[in-house]
Amino acid sequence: MRINLMPAVALCALFVFPAGANRGPRNNAGAHPQDGSILPNASAVVKPRSYVSLDSVPRGSQFQVAVVVDIARGFHMNSHKPSDAYLIPTTLTPQLPPGIQLDETVYPEGRSEKFSFSPDKPLNVYTGSVTLRLRLSANANAALGATSLPLILRYQACNDAACLPPVKVPVAVSLQIAPAGTKAHPVHPEVFSPSSSSK
Amino acid sequence: MKKLFSFLLFAAVLSLVATAFAGCGKSKGASAGVLENEPDVTFKDLQGNNVTLASYKGKVVLLNFWATWCEPCRIEIPWMIEFQQKYSAKGFTMLGVAMDDEGTKVVAPFVQKTQFNVDGHSMTMDYPIVLGTDDIASKLGGLIGLPTSVIISRDGKIVKRYIGLVDHNTIDKEIQSLL
Repeated sequence: MRINLMPAVALCALFVFPAGANRGPRNNAGAHPQDGSILPNASAVVKPRSYVSLDSVPRGSQFQVAVVVDIARGFHMNSHKPSDAYLIPTTLTPQLPPGIQLDETVYPEGRSEKFSFSPDKPLNVYTGSVTLRLRLSANANAALGATSLPLILRYQACNDAACLPPVKVPVAVSLQIAPAGTKAHPVHPEVFSPSSSSK
Repeated sequence: MKKLFSFLLFAAVLSLVATAFAGCGKSKGASAGVLENEPDVTFKDLQGNNVTLASYKGKVVLLNFWATWCEPCRIEIPWMIEFQQKYSAKGFTMLGVAMDDEGTKVVAPFVQKTQFNVDGHSMTMDYPIVLGTDDIASKLGGLIGLPTSVIISRDGKIVKRYIGLVDHNTIDKEIQSLL
């Protein structure tokens, strides 16, 4: 006797797969908030990229490091000057090697935006892509050759329904220190030109 | 005959699937609607005293994970104040679990000073507040975002978990169904 299992299997599959899709662990890679959107891990929301303004930095000269931060669509992070004292500001902190001096950290202006959870009180936030800048100097005693300048980007991100915990993300920067008097060549004009600096 | 056999086979397979999923529901890694035994958890309150989750057995508990830096949490806090007022006499309690790294230093002033509009009345968070840790959150199924609310039944089982901002009526109905 031949038994046709196809109808039974197909019907079972209809029940099993949609249900199975909702029963995976929710505390690992992501979760489903009540609005149905995916909630990723905090470190996955923001992608930082670093740039150095000179191809090699002569001792005794000034240079810049820019960190372009791409924020996932639907998310925002607090600006460096959030609108409430309890909110966690975005910060960029360099771990300076000997001979490298921080002159100034320049944060972009945040945007004042209203959210569904804060309809009356706009929040000062970063969304989309923002550029954080460090103005630095290479002193006469800076080590010649390849140098790493580790940075820590700290931020706290939210979407319209939930906030992710504050995180500190390492950002790697590599630069070349050259002898004093070496001709320096500006690079990455798309990031360091005067028009880009206003972003 | 063939049709009857196919139907019986289908019923048997469906029964097996249902049994398997009932087992999944009791596994660790809670999700909405999953029954799970209440874990053995001890919090510190804002005065530094130990508060065990087991001490609330017999009550319906709404654990609300929040932080002072969480703006969406502030939408829910007036509701939590309201639920505490409305249902505490019926065997319900709120338990606000603050996840601020700085602990009491930042949580206590926020709790004492921040005013929330509850039905036109300005009120502070007058329900029990304890301090959470990653370890505690992990025992309660993990925490990837705030607010997160966990509803525990009178017999100490986690019956619902909401990640992110939920609407007032959803939580209200869930509490009422357990009282």
